[in-house]
Amino acid sequence: MKKSYLLSLVAIMIFVLLSGCNGEEKANGSNGNGGKTTIQFWHSLDGKNGEYMDALIQRFNDSQDEVKVVGTFQGSYDEAATKLQQSISANTGPDVTMLERAYVQQFAESDVLEDMSSYLKSSGLKKSDFAKGLMGHSTFNEKLVSLPLNRSTPILHVNKTILDEKGLKVPTNWEELKKVANALVVKEGGKVNRYGFTMPYDTWYPIAMISQSKGTFFNKDKTSIGFEKNDVGVKVFEYLKDMQKTGALYYPPSQDSGNIVNQMFTTGKVPMMFQSTGTIGDISQNAKFDYVTAFLPKNDVYATPTGGGNVAMLASSKNKEAAWKFIDFMMEDPDGLLQFILDTGYLPFTKKMAESKEIQDLWAKEPNRKTAYDQLKYAVDNNKSVAWPQTMHEFFSAIEAIMYDDAKIEPTLKTFKKETERILSEN
Amino acid sequence: MKKYNIWLSLDYILKAAVLLSFVFPFIWMISTSLQTFEETIKIPPTIFPSSPQWINFVDAMSSGPFVTYAKNSVIITSSIIIIQFLVMIPAAYAFAKYDFAGKKILFGMVLIAFMMPGQVTFIPIYLMMADWGLIKTLVPQILPFMSNAFGIFLLRQYFMQIPEEIIEAARLDNASEFKIVWKIMTPMAKPALATIALFSFVSHWNDYFWPLVMTDTNEVRPLTLGIAMLKQSEGISNWHIIMAGNVVLVVPILIVYLLCSKHIVKAFVYSGIK
Repeated sequence: MKKSYLLSLVAIMIFVLLSGCNGEEKANGSNGNGGKTTIQFWHSLDGKNGEYMDALIQRFNDSQDEVKVVGTFQGSYDEAATKLQQSISANTGPDVTMLERAYVQQFAESDVLEDMSSYLKSSGLKKSDFAKGLMGHSTFNEKLVSLPLNRSTPILHVNKTILDEKGLKVPTNWEELKKVANALVVKEGGKVNRYGFTMPYDTWYPIAMISQSKGTFFNKDKTSIGFEKNDVGVKVFEYLKDMQKTGALYYPPSQDSGNIVNQMFTTGKVPMMFQSTGTIGDISQNAKFDYVTAFLPKNDVYATPTGGGNVAMLASSKNKEAAWKFIDFMMEDPDGLLQFILDTGYLPFTKKMAESKEIQDLWAKEPNRKTAYDQLKYAVDNNKSVAWPQTMHEFFSAIEAIMYDDAKIEPTLKTFKKETERILSEN
Repeated sequence: MKKYNIWLSLDYILKAAVLLSFVFPFIWMISTSLQTFEETIKIPPTIFPSSPQWINFVDAMSSGPFVTYAKNSVIITSSIIIIQFLVMIPAAYAFAKYDFAGKKILFGMVLIAFMMPGQVTFIPIYLMMADWGLIKTLVPQILPFMSNAFGIFLLRQYFMQIPEEIIEAARLDNASEFKIVWKIMTPMAKPALATIALFSFVSHWNDYFWPLVMTDTNEVRPLTLGIAMLKQSEGISNWHIIMAGNVVLVVPILIVYLLCSKHIVKAFVYSGIK
């Protein structure tokens, strides 16, 4: 009795090990399936965006029969970057990968990204074909290490119905933003029922506001922060804290903040928000009010950082020609990223895409989508550094201390500066 | 008599409050999984969906290779538990009933393993598994969990409470050590084994971090990763679909818990065979 029990256990274990081995054979066949080259493509697109990416890959696989792309979700941008690091050292990396643009520098410095200049040329493309504001993270030491993929910028989302009710205009500068946001607050017995304005918990928005005040995140020589001069950093956070105190600014809890502000905005709990262009599609589908988008308000100047992911080819790939074929399809084919951009709301980034009939029609129908593209002329990324991912964590701590724990602004930023200098000197 | 009534009702109220605070998230999850998207973002939120949307489950399960994910989850979790039992029971028996040189050091090492989080070991293990060419198999998700330090610890305590006389009686009857372990100790430790199995099941069934860092392809991924993909990091998440996925993930845990619950209570009130 007992023996047969043990035997069946052993049988199950053997089955498990065998079924594991089967998987390996299937996946290893780079050239196994009918002469097709298999390309591994890693990305961080989940939810509906992930489905749109799967559809793009399917369109590519159907369009020709030499290359087969296998797309795999590898977790959030940060998780995917960690995975990429470990897989490169283990030699199990993909051929093509999506990389959050701020991580590009770090990988490029380790020389693991392929220089795509010659491939670009072979397809008759030039760097100048791409929107300049989105190419900030594409070249490293004169090598073309990445190209835009799903790019976005922050933008001001407005519930115009509520603003109209109050006879308020869409703000174009900080002063107006503060006034309008305060005018929108509805309080009942000390409890705020409607806030004026919100933004997700992210480094993106403070950085945008630093640039709008003519500061830069890092200084020119990348030895320290660049927003201590003229107290730019202090002014940015004082501005936010002032608004937070009156209920004009709702600063969301850190966990899932993006989803929280989106939902508050769509349900009318807060009529204005700074948020990525990547949400326009979802909001216009769900908002039951007059929804408009506008440039981020200016302080001294208009400015916006950029975000989202780029695409890179790994230097370790054994199938670079095939990998480029896929990247080229994404960049140039109307069934490539152009369709993905139409589906999702990310920014078109080549002149050809922007001038295409599909995009022009879309912009005519949904002018909200055009705002972000127009805003690109003010795009500036001044947090480019190999050390950014590390500095980012420190900056998050500073934001947390100021926004959640009411820490004094000046000393907090001083501590942050010291940490940043330490990190930068180590790199 | 009157006083007694007050305490009794207070007792019930407190129990109900505790129960509610544990059960409410589950109720909300199930409720959300049956709502339409419009309902999920309505304020005030609805607890009872106006018409149950069973289609959400179909949507969630058809958004990826969920049959593969489920199969992997089952294979991984059941293999882990089976292998753990094969390793853990003899080990706990040895630590509880034998005296041998280096016993204390060895047991100390087990305790250290107990305290080591996966975040410390994942990179060396990944590199090792990649070196062995196992990344595209389920092995990296099973092999590192072969021995369960917590299980050895708990089971050793349990075995120590079993009186020496029983083992000696068995030895007098010419039972082999093998027989003693599997026919006498194991059946007597059923409550502890059920507890360990449940804990192990829940932690590996729900594990997100380890499979995420150990797998590169969808063929070898478990349910947790499939469900994480339902979430949308940019834009508005479809909570009804995510929650439908979560219900699918949680139901097996509830079933296993129901099967084990009787034994678990025993394990914690067990005070030895007197």
